[in-house]
Amino acid sequence: MDSSYGLDLNKPLYDGRYSWFDHSKFGGTVYEPKPNDPSTRTTDPIVTGTSVLAVKYKGGVAIAADTLLSYGSLARFRDIRRIHKLNEHTIIGSSGEYSDFQYITRMLDDVVTDNHIADNNLQPMDPKSIFSYLSRVMYQRRNKQDPLYNNIVVAGYRNGESFLGSVDLLGTHYQDDHIATGFGDHIARPLLRNAYKPDLTKEEAVKLLEKCLTVLFYRDARAYYRVQICTIGEDGVNIAEPQVLQTDWSVGNVTYGYDGRRTALPQA
Amino acid sequence: MQTVEPVLACAPLPNVKEQGRFSPYTNNGGTVIAVAGKDFCVIAGDTRMSEGYSITSRNVSKVIQLTSKCVLASSGMQADIATLHKLLLIRLEQYKHQNGREMSTTSIAQLLGNTLYGKRFFPYYTFNVLGGVDDKGVGCAYSYDAVGSFERTPYSSSGTGQQLVQPLLDNQVAKKHQPNVLKVDVSAKEVEEFVRDAMTSAGERDIYTGDHVEVKTVTANGVVHQRFDLKFD
Amino acid sequence: MYATKSEYDRGVNTFSPEGRLFQVEYAIEAIKLGSTALGIKTSEGVILAVEKRVSSTLLESSSIEKIMEIDSHIGASMSGLIADARTMIEHGRVEAQNHRFNYDEPMKVEACTQALCDLALRFGEDRKKGEREEQMSRPFGVALLVAGVDETGPLLYHTDPSGTFVAFEAKAIGAASEGAQQTLIEKYTKSMTLSEAETLAVSVLKQVMEEQLTATNIEVASAEVATGKFTIYGKEKVESIIARV
Repeated sequence: MDSSYGLDLNKPLYDGRYSWFDHSKFGGTVYEPKPNDPSTRTTDPIVTGTSVLAVKYKGGVAIAADTLLSYGSLARFRDIRRIHKLNEHTIIGSSGEYSDFQYITRMLDDVVTDNHIADNNLQPMDPKSIFSYLSRVMYQRRNKQDPLYNNIVVAGYRNGESFLGSVDLLGTHYQDDHIATGFGDHIARPLLRNAYKPDLTKEEAVKLLEKCLTVLFYRDARAYYRVQICTIGEDGVNIAEPQVLQTDWSVGNVTYGYDGRRTALPQA
Repeated sequence: MQTVEPVLACAPLPNVKEQGRFSPYTNNGGTVIAVAGKDFCVIAGDTRMSEGYSITSRNVSKVIQLTSKCVLASSGMQADIATLHKLLLIRLEQYKHQNGREMSTTSIAQLLGNTLYGKRFFPYYTFNVLGGVDDKGVGCAYSYDAVGSFERTPYSSSGTGQQLVQPLLDNQVAKKHQPNVLKVDVSAKEVEEFVRDAMTSAGERDIYTGDHVEVKTVTANGVVHQRFDLKFD
Repeated sequence: MYATKSEYDRGVNTFSPEGRLFQVEYAIEAIKLGSTALGIKTSEGVILAVEKRVSSTLLESSSIEKIMEIDSHIGASMSGLIADARTMIEHGRVEAQNHRFNYDEPMKVEACTQALCDLALRFGEDRKKGEREEQMSRPFGVALLVAGVDETGPLLYHTDPSGTFVAFEAKAIGAASEGAQQTLIEKYTKSMTLSEAETLAVSVLKQVMEEQLTATNIEVASAEVATGKFTIYGKEKVESIIARV
């Protein structure tokens, strides 16, 4: 007796597409994957975070980012943490493709724990070693034409020394007293350059980043008003809860063409 | 009763494959110079790193001391430069263990050429000048392209300021187009001064050159490091 | 313990309880069956001289090669299994040419000798995945006297199947090495000229060889400081040395 009930058992039930959808009716053809097809890779970032800002202060480093993830121009997720603690000495922040950042985060968490366990003195891994490792990973991925679409900021504090570095998807890496990724490099970096001094206090640094984030929110269409401003320094790691930026849009009322309320500049 | 044709919300899948737009290369700018003298060589490079029209950092070194008699300066893509420099340092250390001495400047010149050619079909985007003193204590400079062609020259420059600096070197170091001027041996001091002027000029006109300059003077006795500032604009 | 020697001389990687590797020791023994070879270092250069055993009157002695050039400034004489030596020399030649290709300079004699010994020591290794070369089944049964000149001056090294190399002022290997070495100890002086070293080398061979010395049953070569070259002597040159002895 035939037990297949009329079904072709050699055919999978789900073949990767819905059989009720007739592509040919819409001018499309179905691509059948073949064994020797080229492998696929990220060619464009999909879900992205915008700028990360960071500045060194006397006795530590402050690092900040908003909590928004965009899907193109859509504000897709509004409460996502883009700053991650790796160990007692190191935190990282990411702009760019968030899934790649999740991959990096998991990878570095593993590296950091492995190294910590392997170290006889049970010393947490050094920020500069993590930075170096990450730089090599980013560079190797760009060599494979399969980059991790991020610009990662590494902030650290160890043995009385602050660390601040940045790595991008090409493996380009550098250390500096202040760093801003993406649009922040254009908007916030000049503000950071003006305000930076080696003896900046922690409070001043946090205040400075808050101001930069506000300015970015005004002009970067992919920025958001919910932000985290974190610090790492003498007093340890502080991954701050998101806060809301105080904004002032009243300037719009005196602007010509804004909000349809005024059609011409006020006469003197 | 009217029958409604089901409307499909999703569009058919495009059968055209997405073309990769990722470019693995960028030029982070910068100018490097090497001028060889009778028994010395002066190698210099600025410390600006750029991405497009942005200055990403003002203090990223392009100049690296390879041995007590050899210095390399590279402009181009920072990630490739850093990788190349690291690789060379490893190869030099291995050579020292295998051969019981430092690699000579002429050997490093050959090694660098081979290393660059080894990536002929996915090149290091780096433009190198190598300088130092050879086994006989004579000052030497080498000039490279990105895929390993190289030659020993009396002087050389590379990078975004090359077009500005090279004619200056032709005129002032080789005394080109100066029929009545005698070529005389110049001191390391004079060359250092000249290199300073050349880098300053590049800093004036090339937006990718600026911030600071690192100068390394190599003699048979070792390497002397100096540093001076360029404009921040 | 019922362990006998035979249980520990099978595998090349098995130490005996006394801490010996029998296969390596047997290989070193194989050299003592080989023809005598010797080297003498002077301030002017290094002389290599070897005995060729011409076992038949119909044998073309020129086909026996016991001194070989590795690079223009390095050469080696050998005693033991000559086929093994050819493998080592070929490796040395590749390493020396690679060095020139990579660094645009001649390879140092010590570095070259080290490269030869690295190969000799591969008997203990497993075949690595994806590697072209076959795994070695036994140690090489040959010793080399490596002679050369480089920027540090003239050099003479002795290598053995264990992969060890040692520098010598004068060294004899092969069947009559004990007697020959004794003569070298007695007759060698640091102030010898290259020509005196040639004479000493050939006279030592004469002393230990059963047959009459001829230009066809010995080979002589030098690595000279003045020219920086390694040269295997021709028939006339060898005859003129024999005439001096």
